[in-house]
Amino acid sequence: MDFAGAYTPDNLKFLLEGFWVTLQVAFISIILSFIIGGLVGIIRYAKVPVLSQILALIVETVRNLPLLLIIFFTYFALPEVRIKLEIIPAAIVALTIFESAMLSEVIRSGLKSIDKGQMEAARSSGLSYTQALIHIILPQALRRMVPPIVSQFISLLKDTSLAVVISLPELTHHGQIIYGQSQKYLIPILILVALMYFIVNYSLSLVAQRLELKRT
Amino acid sequence: MGGGLIMIVFDRVNKYYGDFHVLKDINLTIKKGEVVVVIGPSGSGKSTLLRCINRLETISEGSLSINGLNVADKKTDINKLRRNIGMVFQHFHLYPHKTVLENIMLAPKKVLGQSVEEAKKIALKYLDKVGIGDKANSFPSQLSGGQQQRVAIARGLAMGPEIMLFDEPTSALDPEMIGEVLDVMKALAHEGMTMVVVTHEMGFAREVADRIVFMDEGRVLEEASPAEFYANPREERARLFLSRILNH
Repeated sequence: MDFAGAYTPDNLKFLLEGFWVTLQVAFISIILSFIIGGLVGIIRYAKVPVLSQILALIVETVRNLPLLLIIFFTYFALPEVRIKLEIIPAAIVALTIFESAMLSEVIRSGLKSIDKGQMEAARSSGLSYTQALIHIILPQALRRMVPPIVSQFISLLKDTSLAVVISLPELTHHGQIIYGQSQKYLIPILILVALMYFIVNYSLSLVAQRLELKRT
Repeated sequence: MGGGLIMIVFDRVNKYYGDFHVLKDINLTIKKGEVVVVIGPSGSGKSTLLRCINRLETISEGSLSINGLNVADKKTDINKLRRNIGMVFQHFHLYPHKTVLENIMLAPKKVLGQSVEEAKKIALKYLDKVGIGDKANSFPSQLSGGQQQRVAIARGLAMGPEIMLFDEPTSALDPEMIGEVLDVMKALAHEGMTMVVVTHEMGFAREVADRIVFMDEGRVLEEASPAEFYANPREERARLFLSRILNH
């Protein structure tokens, strides 16, 4: 084990560059999957005819595939049908597809957990279904959904490391490159990589806990 | 009663939940300003009957009209119809994430397009009317059951409806809070509001109702003035029900 040799300024800079890519890919995928997953969850909750059945089929399919396979699809299989994605977009697309499916389920069940009397009271007062959703159901459901949504975000951030298989230049990949130079660096680098993931993810869950405390 | 305008008409209304026949050949006419109390054993279809009036439940057969407008017709603008019908639920269903004032102001703002100032003025007026003007900025969870139900009534009234529906409004309340809610309802009845009330409160029915509708197993078995109904119910089933509910 050679900590001093592993933690040179150049290596640290290289790791941070990888971590920066991890954060960027995760951030973009989180935003996209929150929007797409949110819409899918709402459409399925509202039981929009035809559309919600089609979406149910897609969500069930995606949810039951390994993320790794989806990454292979977007990077290796899509070019076969003349859709060529660079590494970073391919990773973002794969993560977004997978996490949207997961998040849509979180959001749908959050919406379903709101007492149906709330919808009835809102509709009885003359509000349209959409108005009731926006003003009554969604705000209540969102508060309840903060913890599961954040834990989904944490999964997503960790899942970016799977894109190592398509050589996404993210944290885990950069770690591999460094300890590839010498077996002595393996443990020091893995510890540091683990620490970086942990700090960001643990901060996220602390924020979630704070949000949860605030509403009670 | 007398010669008021006809507001609500059930004409041979039937309703099924799958194989279960919930409402059987309901014929019922309610006039403007009438207070109709619907009583009967649980599972008799009282709540379903009430919920059909603002289409929280759809009818399967027959026709149901409010002010001449066919409730079941797909072309009827249900949101417009509902503006005119306030509803109070057994479990209040106040919006827990909104203050009392916001609970009352929401529909007048979003549905009637009132300005914030206008909606607030009206909300405060009705809060005073139900006796809890000082709770305007509280959240529902900070209120007692009786207070919450009074807010729910104010929320219904703020839309300026012609009809108010009450679905067992006191059944979820602690006994000492029932009176304050019934008092608000009595005041409303005396002002001439058209009310349809599903309740087990026999004192209220006797005192306030213009007409008692007794239901059992999905049918309207008896319709009578309270005096008639309590003194001498025609139906054996109604007699049995009354003896059980009055002599406990």
